[in-house]
Amino acid sequence: MELKIENLSKTYSNGVHALKNITLTIPHGMFGLLGPNGAGKSSLMRTMATLQQPDSGSITMGDIDILKDTDRVREVLGYLPQEFGVYPKVTSYKMLDHIASLKGVSNKGERKDLVEALLNKTNLWHVRNKSLGTYSGGMKQRFGIAQALIGSPKLIIVDEPTAGLDPAERVRFHNLLSEIGENTIIILSTHIVEDVANLCKNMAIICLGEVVAQGNPTELTSGVQGKIWKKMIDKKDLDAYKAEHQVISTHLKAGRTIIHVYSEIKPDETFQASPANLEDVYFTEITARLNAVNA
Amino acid sequence: MFFEIFLFELKYRLKRPATWAYFGILFLYGMIISIGGFEGGSEKVFLNAPTNLASTLNVVSIFGIMLASAIMGVPIYRDIEHGTQNYLFSYPISEKGYVLGRFTGSMAILFLVSLGLILGFMIGYAIGPFAGFEPAERYASFNLWHYLQPSLVFYWSNFFFTGCIFFALVALTKRIMLAYAGGAILFIIYLVTLTLTQDIENKELVSLLDPFGFGALNNTIQYWTPEEQNTLTVPFKDTVMWNRILWVGIGLLICLFTVFKFDFQRFLNKKLSAKKKDTTDSNSSSAAVLTKIPVVSQVFSGSHNIKMLLKLAWMEFRNITKDLFFKAILIAAVAFLFFDGWFGNPTYGTPMMPMTYYMLEIKDYNYVVLIFILIVFMTGEVLHRERSVKYDQIYGALPLPNWVVYGSKFMALVFICFVLVNMILLSGVLNQVLKGYFNFEFGMYFTDLYLIEFPKYISYVMLAFFVHAVIAKKFLGHVITIAIWAALFAISSLGDIDYNMYLYSYAPGYTISDMNGFGHFLSGQNWFRLYWLGFGLVLAVIGLLFWKRGTDSGIKARWKEAKQRLGIKEKLVIVVGALVWICAGWYVHYNVSELNSYRTVKQGRELAANYEKEISKYNFINQPKFTDVKVDVDLVPEERYATMSGTFTMVNKGETPIDSLHLNWGDSQLLHTELLKLAVNNVDLKEGKVYSESNYKLYKLPNEMMPGDTVVMTLAVKKGYKGFPNEGSGSDIVYNGTFLNNDFFPTFGYNLQYELTSDKYRKEYDLPVKEYTAPPQNDKWGLSNLLFNDDADYVTFEGTVSTDPDQIAIMPGYLQKEWEENGRKYYHYKMEGEMDYFFNVSSARYDVYKEDWKGKNGEKVAIEIFHHPGHPYNVERFAKAVRHSLDYFSENYGPYQYRQMRIIEFPRYQSFAQSFPNTVPYAESFGWTGDFSDPEDLDYAYMVTSHEVAHQWWGHQITPSATRGANQISESMAEYSSLMVMKKEYGVDAMQDFLKRELDNYLRGRAGENKFEKTLLDNDTQAYVWYRKGGLILYALQDYIDEDRLNVGFKKFIDSAAFRPHAPFATSNEWYGYIKETTPDSLQYYLKDSFEKITLYTNKAKEATYKKLDDNTYEVKVTVESAKNYYDGNGKELEAPDQPNLLDIAIFQNDTIINGKTKKVPLVLEKKWIKPGTSTFIFIIDKKPLKAGIDPYNKMIDRIPDDNLISLEELE
Repeated sequence: MELKIENLSKTYSNGVHALKNITLTIPHGMFGLLGPNGAGKSSLMRTMATLQQPDSGSITMGDIDILKDTDRVREVLGYLPQEFGVYPKVTSYKMLDHIASLKGVSNKGERKDLVEALLNKTNLWHVRNKSLGTYSGGMKQRFGIAQALIGSPKLIIVDEPTAGLDPAERVRFHNLLSEIGENTIIILSTHIVEDVANLCKNMAIICLGEVVAQGNPTELTSGVQGKIWKKMIDKKDLDAYKAEHQVISTHLKAGRTIIHVYSEIKPDETFQASPANLEDVYFTEITARLNAVNA
Repeated sequence: MFFEIFLFELKYRLKRPATWAYFGILFLYGMIISIGGFEGGSEKVFLNAPTNLASTLNVVSIFGIMLASAIMGVPIYRDIEHGTQNYLFSYPISEKGYVLGRFTGSMAILFLVSLGLILGFMIGYAIGPFAGFEPAERYASFNLWHYLQPSLVFYWSNFFFTGCIFFALVALTKRIMLAYAGGAILFIIYLVTLTLTQDIENKELVSLLDPFGFGALNNTIQYWTPEEQNTLTVPFKDTVMWNRILWVGIGLLICLFTVFKFDFQRFLNKKLSAKKKDTTDSNSSSAAVLTKIPVVSQVFSGSHNIKMLLKLAWMEFRNITKDLFFKAILIAAVAFLFFDGWFGNPTYGTPMMPMTYYMLEIKDYNYVVLIFILIVFMTGEVLHRERSVKYDQIYGALPLPNWVVYGSKFMALVFICFVLVNMILLSGVLNQVLKGYFNFEFGMYFTDLYLIEFPKYISYVMLAFFVHAVIAKKFLGHVITIAIWAALFAISSLGDIDYNMYLYSYAPGYTISDMNGFGHFLSGQNWFRLYWLGFGLVLAVIGLLFWKRGTDSGIKARWKEAKQRLGIKEKLVIVVGALVWICAGWYVHYNVSELNSYRTVKQGRELAANYEKEISKYNFINQPKFTDVKVDVDLVPEERYATMSGTFTMVNKGETPIDSLHLNWGDSQLLHTELLKLAVNNVDLKEGKVYSESNYKLYKLPNEMMPGDTVVMTLAVKKGYKGFPNEGSGSDIVYNGTFLNNDFFPTFGYNLQYELTSDKYRKEYDLPVKEYTAPPQNDKWGLSNLLFNDDADYVTFEGTVSTDPDQIAIMPGYLQKEWEENGRKYYHYKMEGEMDYFFNVSSARYDVYKEDWKGKNGEKVAIEIFHHPGHPYNVERFAKAVRHSLDYFSENYGPYQYRQMRIIEFPRYQSFAQSFPNTVPYAESFGWTGDFSDPEDLDYAYMVTSHEVAHQWWGHQITPSATRGANQISESMAEYSSLMVMKKEYGVDAMQDFLKRELDNYLRGRAGENKFEKTLLDNDTQAYVWYRKGGLILYALQDYIDEDRLNVGFKKFIDSAAFRPHAPFATSNEWYGYIKETTPDSLQYYLKDSFEKITLYTNKAKEATYKKLDDNTYEVKVTVESAKNYYDGNGKELEAPDQPNLLDIAIFQNDTIINGKTKKVPLVLEKKWIKPGTSTFIFIIDKKPLKAGIDPYNKMIDRIPDDNLISLEELE
């Protein structure tokens, strides 16, 4: 089963053009949606999660028209929004049990097994009787994924799930996601390139509401292999370099600035070849576009 | 530092839209009030009179609690809300500078916002005269002081006080909820306290402790005449001054306390009570890796959805009931309900038994308002619950159809409504149990609560759901729903639009009666409820379409979403709702506007104006007068119609020939009228000229009636009700408790009663200002007609009435025969001797109480009390009053003209008692269910009965002429008579309570007078003069000249004027003549003051001391002030004569309590001639005195009756 997005466009009432004619095909397995803040990731994800409607375009999953047949999508959907709250006075056990029953798990015994398994799986078993208001950020996030996993969803959408998590939590979270069955479409949005590189078989980069690249991370990386050059420069010279070259990213190292430049050929002798990684792909795609808007 | 913060606050607030929104609301409100002229009170008082401005400013400042909490609660909280506290306090600012800066800045904003109202007033009152909503002459010219003075004294000082409270609350507790909910709760508590303290004796203390000065203000101005209201500002002295000093002082203290108490450290500390975040986290667990998530089966069937609907509804219901705000408001609402029930519906200060209808009725006093607010707020809470904890995205993506989510929320509110209606049941039954009343009428409770009230609350919920779903912003949703509500209220009560079909959730008013149950009201109620539920359903489904599930709040997106949601099911429900709405609407309209004629208030006025313009030319025309009347009445109670036919022997008693009969049918808005027969001497009359709008028709007589001619007229009329009307009780003919009178027949000629009385409206329709309704005392027409009915002088009367077999039907006269025929019960009555032409027809299922009264001369009167079987409580009290009255009146005024006296209960659609010859219909709510267990309470059943019996002499023996002042002969004399009977039974002390009520009523009456106050001699319309002033003046007069001596005069009057066979009939001058004749010369001044003028005393005990003398006696020194002023009819002060007046000076011991009644124990009670000014009296007495003063029993008319006595101080 594939998720097909075709010509999806959306302009909000405040004039923000959030999605511009997005066309994507998302196969099963983990799919990474990469993009800077404000790229339209969340808009796209919320649209897929039946929470809003586009102005035009279509999304289908197998024979389900996600935009029209919202009830059917929701039956197979697990969704973890970027930001979410909980009822502070309810325990995670009760809340999961409640959501499970709302998700149609009506057999009491099954529901009990499911909730207990999820609590174990997400390492919340020992705090299952504590109210959600007392949870730390990581625990809350794990609760979020637990609720998204209820009812063996066929489509799991997690929106920036690792934002604000400490490194250990992030790893734990990745492990959890990677264990989910192969037959499921998991869409993960993030602006952390590493997450996608580590987890996803397929990905897309969106920027300013448009899909600017899509494919397999390795293939995408090989596409820029040999075209990334780096140089250590003085900070004051940065603008000059930017004017002359296509600077895709800058890093600081020991107080000095290292720039990465995209170029078909070596710009000049002072530059060194840099082995390409997904981050370079990402920055190659977005930097020029963002500069164009900001200019 | 302070200044920086102050300026920052000011600038910040000035940029906030909320500041200007508040300002704008007040401004608009001020404009609407001033231009629309929405001020109660007298027409003679300027809309912008200083007292009106003061009252409005005061009331708005009480509502301003909300404003103060909104403006003064946030300045400190803002730093918590925006997280600026974390760095702001690291700056080098002082705590006091910070607090004081924020405080003064916000207070300045509060005052600025408050100016909105004043500005609105100023502009509105300037535009008003030209806007045309109110006549220009009702606006006084601009006077800045009239705005400034009450603003300083009440408006701003109240804002200051409440502002301080809310600032302190938030600054010291950091909880903004305290400001928001606190505002609402404080407001409610204040209202509850006002209700609870309204009957407390010590008004001074209550008004001193009233934080808003509302009581102090009202106590000061309550008796001000129109003239005084127009010219004076509320003086800043006495209670008003102390009250203001007290509360502004408290505000100041609170403010200072906050400034000194505030401390950054404490403010920054998070709440200690909050649980610490649980950060213990087992780092890794093998269980997590090993656990397999089991595969579960999921069901998404229709029955699953229903199950979820119920489950979620129940959860929502639980959530609402756990909400603190909900609990707080509900407790307040139920407290209102309970206390409104507990304090009953006092009549003359005497409570009523806890009747079920009353327990139900009180829900419309305060409860319903709070319930509406509760429903609106809870709907907002419920519809925004997920969003407010940011759980909405997860929830929105769950596999629940929209109708399940929305429906569950709706159902939760419906459950809440069910709880709310049952609160009424609970409070009612609890009240009844606590008061020892165990006759629970659950049928009545259930019908009212489940069939009428519950659907009404549901229609509130539907409206709230619609608005909140469409608006999708919680606060704005609240505001708009409440604004819709307020607008409906304003349109219906202030504007003249009262067509219930246009006003969402409105229905005709209804009255529950023990006698008649829900009677004819129920079907109209049910149809209206159905009508609004249908409409509400459509609203609720539209709400479902627009309700925001998901994240996009753009209008376009939601519109698109709505179209997508509009599926076949939704369409179906809308169609069903619309069908119910339209069908019920058609039926309601058919009843309200076709079967019954609906008329706007304005149309009603127009009709009255046209009537006068068209018909008044026939005023005073000569028409025949009845001398003998025989009527046949057939009542059909269950179908609510009756036919009445009469055979009238009539004579031309005038001096001109009569060629036509003028039949005036009056305004029979609800009664459908049919003339079945009209013949004179067996010749049917033909309609001549017809004024159909005015229901006035001329019929040419077959032969002109020459003066002295006698003819016999037969007249048959059928009248009845059809369907249900938009409004109105239609209570003449009901299932059980019919009460109608001779107005069932048309009257002859022009009738002044149907004229427009208000001069304001008369001017609008170019009618001359009407000073008097009745002609002067020497008017020939007036002298030759009787006051109550000019179609007859005294007549002989008999009649037959038939009704349902289980009912008893009663008319004046003696029962000759009763029989059953064709399944109907017939009663034949015949009066002995003559009576004025005034008869009633009553019919209901009655129990009859009988006893006999025997007079001194061996005469016997049968007392019969016809009462509802469920109301046996006070029957003997009525009988006792009749006995005592007959004793007193027959001894003092002359014999009673009949051999029986009957009292007949009728349903509480009206609340009065009315005296017909030997028959007194008496409303259900007026004494039958009074609770007279406390001997301190006024026995008004006794008093009113006595009053009505007195009318047999004053009204029926002497029926006054149709001239000015003549009604005093009937009403003032009946009032005086009942006072005398009561004095004999209950003693002088009980009288004082009643006289103070009379005084209060009189003073209020003249303060609200729309024309000008008339004297006892020429008053023709003012009830407060003929009952209240009349009673007071005659009571004092008998005290001056001795009761028996005065009664001798009255007896002479009776002897001369009773059943006077021909004109001139009795006038006020004739009556006054007998009074003057009985009164010694020294007191003639009192008669002049009281009957010919408007006179008020200002008596006051100034100082009273005593000294114990050697011989165990006490020397008491009493200093009193006395003043007497004359007033003109407008209440303008005229001269203050300085002749001495005869007044009581008294010294009292401790009160004693005898049989539960408080009695004053006078040591000295002497009448002294006292010159206006200060006088001192010295007495030597042999008992230790307690209190002393002037006019201690409040016999004189005095606007401050409570300062006549003071406690004595002992001198060493």
